[in-house]
Amino acid sequence: MTSTTTATSTRERRAPGTPGGRRFKPGTWTMFFLALPSIVLLLLIHGWPLIQAFRQSLHDGTLINPGQFVGLQNYIDNLNSPTFWKAAGFTVVFTVVGVFGSWIIGLGLALLLRTRIPAGGIFKVLLLLPWVVPIVVSSTAINWLVATSSSPIPMLFENLGLAPPLFLADPTWARILVCVFKVWVSFPFMMLMSSAALASVDETVYEAARMDGASSPQQLRWITLPIIARSTYISWILMTIFCVNDFPTIFLLTGGGPIDATNSLVVLAYRTVFQNQQVGLGVAVAFMMTVVLVVIATLLYRQIRKAAI
Amino acid sequence: MAIVHQTAKVGQVAGKQLLTSQEKGTRGQWWRFVLVLFIVVVTLIPIAVVMFLAFTPTVTSSTSGFTLENFSNVFANSDVILWLQNSLLVTLGTVVVSVAVAAPAGYVLSRGRSRAVSGYSLLLFVFQSLPVVTSVIPLFILFAKLGLIDNLFGVTIVYVASAMSVATWMMAAYMDSIPISLEEAAWIDGASLFRGFAQVVLRNSLPGVLSTAIFTFLVAWNDYLVAIVFLRSAVAFTLPLGVQSFFQQNTTDWGGVMAIAVVMMIPPVLIFVLLNKYFSVGGIGGSLAGQ
Repeated sequence: MTSTTTATSTRERRAPGTPGGRRFKPGTWTMFFLALPSIVLLLLIHGWPLIQAFRQSLHDGTLINPGQFVGLQNYIDNLNSPTFWKAAGFTVVFTVVGVFGSWIIGLGLALLLRTRIPAGGIFKVLLLLPWVVPIVVSSTAINWLVATSSSPIPMLFENLGLAPPLFLADPTWARILVCVFKVWVSFPFMMLMSSAALASVDETVYEAARMDGASSPQQLRWITLPIIARSTYISWILMTIFCVNDFPTIFLLTGGGPIDATNSLVVLAYRTVFQNQQVGLGVAVAFMMTVVLVVIATLLYRQIRKAAI
Repeated sequence: MAIVHQTAKVGQVAGKQLLTSQEKGTRGQWWRFVLVLFIVVVTLIPIAVVMFLAFTPTVTSSTSGFTLENFSNVFANSDVILWLQNSLLVTLGTVVVSVAVAAPAGYVLSRGRSRAVSGYSLLLFVFQSLPVVTSVIPLFILFAKLGLIDNLFGVTIVYVASAMSVATWMMAAYMDSIPISLEEAAWIDGASLFRGFAQVVLRNSLPGVLSTAIFTFLVAWNDYLVAIVFLRSAVAFTLPLGVQSFFQQNTTDWGGVMAIAVVMMIPPVLIFVLLNKYFSVGGIGGSLAGQ
């Protein structure tokens, strides 16, 4: 939020030749050339493949063979497939839990760490580690913790007198495990976003609220949350994108199993293309997902830009 | 008067429960300390597991207690040094190219005001939301034709592109905080727009550059999906694939797996612990939506 305010003041004035005037000025070309490398890269690595992917989704090819044109058959096949809808359903669950779970924990910790506590600085760094440590590493550790009935966490259940759950073999437990793991990986990002937003909140508004007798929950609900609303929406959108597109968190832990219980659309697309060699069918999954995500993200993005806070 | 008095009293009562006030009691402080400590301990269990197993002798070993033998085993019997080299090359390449491309792009986003720049900003956002899977499949076929499969250069390009949007927002966010009056002074002295960018803005953007570098480092170092698609033979593996393949081949050798995991974990953790004060994602919001 700080950067936004400073930015608005600089935005009043214009750089020489910045586009925006009625005529083309020499600076326009400089601006264009400054942005050019990134535009080329984006079009080459994201833009061109997108068009290619659409073409592939209309064919029945493999990775080596481009295949025959089949029209919308791949899309129809997917829409008629229970596996596709199961994966779509789990993607929604995974995303909703991932976004709001990590947000609540991240915001809670940001609020706690904003107050003065002993060793607060060290805690802040330590709490970032789940986000920093490679998923390959942390998923291996989780695997050790839960994989078999004699692993530490199932043993803990047993010692508490409960039936030891088979986290990787039972569909429900596998889903819970994957979602909890995602929250564990993502909450530090939400904590960083929340901390940055909270840092810009002016302390004097709380003094005023205190004078009016507002309790802490009331202050959180009616002052803090509205002030950081914009940053919150942005973090939700980014996390939605991260969750829907997430591959390693699920794939490394469960591979999409057991019985496709933790198959998300990304994992389904990957498996269809690289394990079943059905490129068209797999790309169609990815493409439908992309379209839905881009539409949702663009709508939300416009909404934020409109919302003046 | 009575009302004012009453409000003040209520205010005092509420003040005692306030979490954010500076002068709260030490009891609340210790209670929060214990709570955070508990959360930190629970959070770090998986990481502690990695460390513990890496330094614990395997069942077949004759030693007991703390040991480095898992590391010596892994270094002698696997390609971990090669994987480490590959990972370092790819990551270094990604960081350097990303910063070089994102810095000028961020400048355009920060200073440019026009429909074209808004369109560019939207383009960044749309491409950020594309799943990597979608672009990876056609790129796989293209790279196969160009001989870029099993090639670290090919992977590096994909990493740079997938980190591009966030990297650009990060640079723009930092540059937003540099007053335009600095450039104006340079322009008055006859500097071109480009010189204003390179000699005034970029020179003052070290924290922004570091932030971007840390982010792109994480993207490249931690990636799994791009690596597993494009790097097919063991000589080209980066560490994530190395850990994974070693794990699949030696499912019972937890010490060995975790030793490689520690090797892989150290660089990002070290960078974060040392440089975390330079890392800020908060600004992204501003440059993403602030225009």
